[in-house]
Amino acid sequence: MTRLFRAFGAPLASVILLLSGVWILGLIAAPQLIMIEQSLWRMERPEGSAEISVQIDGLYNRLDVIGLDRSVAESETDSAKRETELAALAAEEAAIKAEIAVLEEKESTPVKVYTLDNFGQMGSAHLAIFAKTIVASLAVSAIALVVCYPIAYAVAKLETPRTAAAIMLALVIPYAINELLRIFAWQMILNNNGPANALLGLLGFDPVPFLDSGAGVFVAMVYAYILFMVFPLYNVLETLDSNQVEAARDLGASTWQIHRRVVIPHARPGIAVGCIMTFMLSAGSYAVPYIMTRGTAAPWFTQLIYNRFFEATNWNVGAAYALSLLAVCTVFIFLMMRLLKVSLKDIAK
Amino acid sequence: MEIQMTGQTTGKAIELEQAAVHFGSFQAVHPTNLRIEPGEFFSILGPSGCGKTTLLRLLSGFLDPTGGDVRIGGKSMVGIDPSVRPTALIFQNLALFPLMTIWENVAFGLEMRGWTKAKRRARAEELLATVALSDHAGKMPAQLSGGQKQRVAIARALAVEPSVLLLDEPLSALDLKLRQHMRAELKQIQARTGITFVYITHDQGEALTMSNRVAVMNRGRIMQTGTPDDVYDRPDSAFVATFVGEMNAVDGKVVTALDRVALVETPLGRFRAANPKGLGPGDEAILFVRPEKMRLLNAKEDEDNSIAARVTRRDMEGAWSTVVAHAEGRELRLHLPHSGRDTPPSGEVTLGFSADAGVILPKGEMSDD
Repeated sequence: MTRLFRAFGAPLASVILLLSGVWILGLIAAPQLIMIEQSLWRMERPEGSAEISVQIDGLYNRLDVIGLDRSVAESETDSAKRETELAALAAEEAAIKAEIAVLEEKESTPVKVYTLDNFGQMGSAHLAIFAKTIVASLAVSAIALVVCYPIAYAVAKLETPRTAAAIMLALVIPYAINELLRIFAWQMILNNNGPANALLGLLGFDPVPFLDSGAGVFVAMVYAYILFMVFPLYNVLETLDSNQVEAARDLGASTWQIHRRVVIPHARPGIAVGCIMTFMLSAGSYAVPYIMTRGTAAPWFTQLIYNRFFEATNWNVGAAYALSLLAVCTVFIFLMMRLLKVSLKDIAK
Repeated sequence: MEIQMTGQTTGKAIELEQAAVHFGSFQAVHPTNLRIEPGEFFSILGPSGCGKTTLLRLLSGFLDPTGGDVRIGGKSMVGIDPSVRPTALIFQNLALFPLMTIWENVAFGLEMRGWTKAKRRARAEELLATVALSDHAGKMPAQLSGGQKQRVAIARALAVEPSVLLLDEPLSALDLKLRQHMRAELKQIQARTGITFVYITHDQGEALTMSNRVAVMNRGRIMQTGTPDDVYDRPDSAFVATFVGEMNAVDGKVVTALDRVALVETPLGRFRAANPKGLGPGDEAILFVRPEKMRLLNAKEDEDNSIAARVTRRDMEGAWSTVVAHAEGRELRLHLPHSGRDTPPSGEVTLGFSADAGVILPKGEMSDD
């Protein structure tokens, strides 16, 4: 802290501290805390509401009895006596009505109760979708890795700087295009009447229901998130000293051995970052599954979260669903880091 | 330092036959003939960009000649992958594997050959012992000093028992003392193993002290091949004369030429000097004289050649001093042994050199160094 002030001077250091504080509170803490709070409660009928309704029933009975008593009193001939009896009955009736009103208010006002129950609300059908989403996201990451590793390696190590720049440009261009446009384009390509099926038809195959089977989601997702794998890989492979590769080859390593022993170990942080990014984006994607399937295939878990919030209007369970997804993603991050033996410091680089 | 080889490893001969490399229209190595004897310590000396690294890549197999043939041990190496050539390469930056321990680095070649872990480890320990690094087997490369890394790189290359060891300026990153020490070590390893060493360098000191023979390269051509004494004492081109060691150079024209000696006319006067290239009268020529072959003449002395000059500076170098003199606007240097008793020369002096101390060579490119 003192070093910060010494390096930047008091005004600038204060601004930096303030902005860091805003960042940490506003961008990191606040959204998570709000979501956690939301997931931890639900509205409940008050405690003892059964006894209250019995009590209320009793009071209504009593009102009926007062009604009977009143008709008896009205037939009373002695006017003075009649008036006093009726006045007593009216007073009692008003008191009971007031009590009923209080009890009914008490019975019908829900109470905010903190509980973990929201997290136990996932039925087996939703759990299956949750598992499917996680597995499919893992598969998207794995495919992206397999596709991107050779590309990134070729661009980083084999091509001349000019060719490398051209290839990188070609990779970036699709990402300059609006995401919705890209997804809709794929939706049209993989449509039953789309070019993909037309091509299969020319080759004599029956049309494949890409969209209805959910395969379309998969294809569009690999396409949509592949760049988030290429760049981390490219960045890390570019820092690999080519002499290392040549040294390994000179010492008798085959291409496979060079990659296994020299290139992949060096690329570990890039692989970790790429896998984490593609996995998180896939698992958290809403637009891709929504547009690609439009309800024709089993939904993605994000769609369930959306439904909890806006269709079931149960924001508490929605928050719990969203947090479950976050928890799995976080576990995945640490698992990847553990598996690839990279620390947060390596990833930050 | 003792390096025992498990197998019978002997150096192999290297032959280049009209071997050439061009990248597009750029001729990196002109058609070259060269024979390096088995077990020889051979240096390729030249300025950066002269093609020496290309030549080394030709031998290691990372590059194939665009013309001619490269043979090691009599077998053509064209199209043979570096991984199966009987060569091992020590890189300028050593290229140790930073994520492997020292012993894993040394045993890498054996791992690639399918040795079991126990055998690899044992062999790596043996090799590390020979380079005095036994205590460091489990460390990572980043934990070692420059000289230690150097020895790991040597051990790693020797582990695969190459017939030819190729060294790409591996000492250039070390400080002077360590460099001198490593020169001696390399020379010893070479002598003990009998492996053919091909050593690439731009440092003439390294080339001259370690090598059996030296090839001096410039602009993709080998200018001269010979023992260190040959290239130093009997350069046969202006480039070699000026690249190897210090040289005084004066350009002029041959007046008369005999069998071995010629008379050359220069702005500083007429001089007699050796004429190894057989230049004839009227040929443009450059006269070269080493600073240590120049002498200060006293009034009574007579010498084959003499120049009147004025001393302008004296640089103390330790064992000798360099006297810088000027004659007709040209700078001349001479090295005087430093005895500590003589008074340094000053003012007007007469410099001289014998006819066999100077050499007359055809005009040609000279080194900037």
